[in-house]
Amino acid sequence: MAEIMIAMKQLTKAYKSMGDEVQALRGVSLDIEKGESVAVMGQSGSGKSTLLSILGGLNPPTSGSVEVDGIDVYALSQEMRADFRREYLGFVFQQFQLIPYLTALENVMLPLTTIRKSNKEKREIAGSVLCRVGLAGKMNRLPNQLSGGEQERVAIARAIVNEPPVVLADEPTGSLDTKTGDEIMALFQRLNQDGLTVLMVTHNPDNTRYMSRTIIMKDGQLCTDKAELLQLVSAGKR
Amino acid sequence: MQLYHIALNNILRRKVKMLFVLLGLLIGIATMVSVYGVVEAMRTEMTRQVAQFGANVIITPDAGELTFSYGGITLPAVLFDVEQLTGEDVAAIENISLREAIRAVAPKLLGLAVAGGGHLGDANAQNVVVVGVNLQQEFMVKPWLRLRSAEEMQSDEQNTPERSNVPAADTVPEEEKEMDFAMLDLAREDLTRLVLSDEQILVGSTLAATLGVMEGDLLTLSGQEFQVFAVLKDSGSAEDEQILLNLSAAQALLGRPEQVTLIELAADFTLGSEEVLLSQLREALPNVEVTSLRQEALRRDEMITRLVRFGTSVSVLILFVGMLVVGLTMSGAVRERTREIGVFRAIGFRKSDVAKIILLEGLIVSVLGGMLGYFVGMAVAYYAGPLLANMSIQVPWRLEIFGLAVLLAILIGLLASIVPARQAAKLDPAEALRFI
Repeated sequence: MAEIMIAMKQLTKAYKSMGDEVQALRGVSLDIEKGESVAVMGQSGSGKSTLLSILGGLNPPTSGSVEVDGIDVYALSQEMRADFRREYLGFVFQQFQLIPYLTALENVMLPLTTIRKSNKEKREIAGSVLCRVGLAGKMNRLPNQLSGGEQERVAIARAIVNEPPVVLADEPTGSLDTKTGDEIMALFQRLNQDGLTVLMVTHNPDNTRYMSRTIIMKDGQLCTDKAELLQLVSAGKR
Repeated sequence: MQLYHIALNNILRRKVKMLFVLLGLLIGIATMVSVYGVVEAMRTEMTRQVAQFGANVIITPDAGELTFSYGGITLPAVLFDVEQLTGEDVAAIENISLREAIRAVAPKLLGLAVAGGGHLGDANAQNVVVVGVNLQQEFMVKPWLRLRSAEEMQSDEQNTPERSNVPAADTVPEEEKEMDFAMLDLAREDLTRLVLSDEQILVGSTLAATLGVMEGDLLTLSGQEFQVFAVLKDSGSAEDEQILLNLSAAQALLGRPEQVTLIELAADFTLGSEEVLLSQLREALPNVEVTSLRQEALRRDEMITRLVRFGTSVSVLILFVGMLVVGLTMSGAVRERTREIGVFRAIGFRKSDVAKIILLEGLIVSVLGGMLGYFVGMAVAYYAGPLLANMSIQVPWRLEIFGLAVLLAILIGLLASIVPARQAAKLDPAEALRFI
C-alpha cells in the first residue's frame, strides 16, 4: 500500500463576510499518496483556494485536521509552522508573486535565507535549480525583465529549492498563454515523476492531463458526482 | 542571501520613500548636532573670553564696614588708612600651589594728585586720580586698554590749535625733555613693549582732553614733573579719567612707599577650580578680603543654559517629528508590501524574520541618517553658527559626537520601526495572499 503524504480529515472552515457566516469548507476528507499529482477543480468560491491555504499551514481550519508526512500541521505553534512550511512545502502562487526588487537567482534563494548555509552554497543550490527549470542564462534578471513563462519557472524553482516533498500550486497557468501553460504543466509533470507530490488548484481542464488525479470541489465539499468528473476530465483530454 | 540583502534591496528599490525616511532622521539629527555644536563652541569661546576678560578676583584690605566703589565694584574704603596691602602680599600670591591658574597679578596704588599748578588751591590746578600699576600685568587684567593711535593724536593736535592757552600744560620748552616717538610707535603696535620710566605717565583720553595734554607734553603732578608718554584710547571705562604710572613712581609721588591699594588677579578657572584657588589665596593672605567676580561668568553661563534648553527643546521636537515621519512612512511601506510579506511567511519566514527585515531597513536608514545628519549639522554649525551666536566661534569636529549622533539616529529609527515591524509580523499570510 502506498504511503500517505497528505491526510485531511473532516476539514471545515467558516468565516465572516459582511456580517454573514460563510462556510468555505464543509467537512472535506482527502488522502493524497506520496508521489501523486492531484488537480483540484471547481468554480470560484467552491473552496479550492481555502483548501490549499489550510493544507499549506497558512489558514487554520475551524475544525478537522491536516497531516503532512505524519505531522499534525495545526498542532504546531505559528513559528514552528513557518519552519514546517520551509521544510515540507513549496508554494507556487497565482501571478507568480516574485519579489520585484530581487533578481531571479535571489528570488529562488529566498527560502534559503533563514537556513544556516554560506551565501556561496545558497547561490550554487539556487543556480542549479534555475538550470533545472531551464533558466540558466537569466539568473540575474529582475522579474520585470522576464516573460510570464519565465517568471512562472522562477516561481517553481523557488518552490522546489528547499527540496520539499510537497508542492502546492494555485492556478499556476492562469496568466499564461496555452503554449507556455503546457510547458509549465510539462515541467510540473517532470517534477512529479522525480518524486514530488503535487497538489494544484486549476480552472483549466487541460491541465488535468498532466495530473494523476483530479478532484472537484463544489460548495465547500468534494464532488462525488461521477458524471461531472468524467465530463471535466474528458474536456481536458480533447 | 541573508535578511539584510532583502532589507538593502528594498531600500534601493523604494528610493523616494526611503529618502523621505532618511530626511526625517537627517533633519532631526542635524538640528541636534548643529545646536549642540554651536552651544558647545559658544561655551568654549565664552569661557575663553571670560578668562581673557581680565580681573576676576580682587584682593583688598580687610576694612570692615567702610566701602567705596572702583569700576563698579564695591570695595572696602581703601583710601582711608585702615589696613594696607604691601608688596609682601603680592609676593605671597606667587607662592600658592595653584599659581599657574593665575594669568596676571596686577597690584595697584590709587591716590589723588594735583595736576597743573603747584598747589591744590591754585586756580589752574585740578585733582586727578593717579593709579600706580605694574603696566604689563595691568594690560593683561584690562585687555581693553589701548594706546591712542598716531592718527588720533594728529587729529587731536589739529582740533586744539590754541594749546598754548591750556592752563595745565607745562611751560617748560619741549626740547628739554625730548619725547621718543619711535618707542611710542613700537608700543602702539605691541603693548608688551611698553615700558615707562618713573618720569613718564599714561593719561586717560577724557582726562587728557580736560587737561589739554597730548603725547610728549609735560605735566606737573603734585609738584613733580612727568612726561605724557601716551594717551589711552577712549574705552568707556574708569581709566579714561585716570593717570597711570609705574607703581614705584606712584608710591613715591603719593608718599606711600611699599603700599598697595588693591590687587587684581586674572585667573583661568579652566586650569583649576575656583573654590580651591580662593581658599589658597585666603590662606596665603589671612588678613585681606578676597572677592571673586563671578557675576559676569554666571550671567553668561545662565544665558548659555537657556540657549541649551531652547536648543534641546527644538531638537527633541524635531526628532520627535522625524520619528513620526519614519514610523508613518515605514508603516505605509509595510501596507504596500502586504503580499510580499505574505510570500515571505508562506515560504517559511518566521514572524521574527519578517520583523527583522523591517527593523534592518530602519537600522540601515538610521545609520545613514545619523552619519549624514552629523555632517549636515556640523556644516550648519560651522557656517551658520558664528551668525547665530553672533560671535566668532570655532566648531570642533568630535568623534564622540559623531558616535552619539549615529547612536541616537539608530535609537530613533529602531523605535519608529517597532510598530511597522510588529504590523508586518502580525500580517495573516492567508489574508495577505488573498487565499480566503
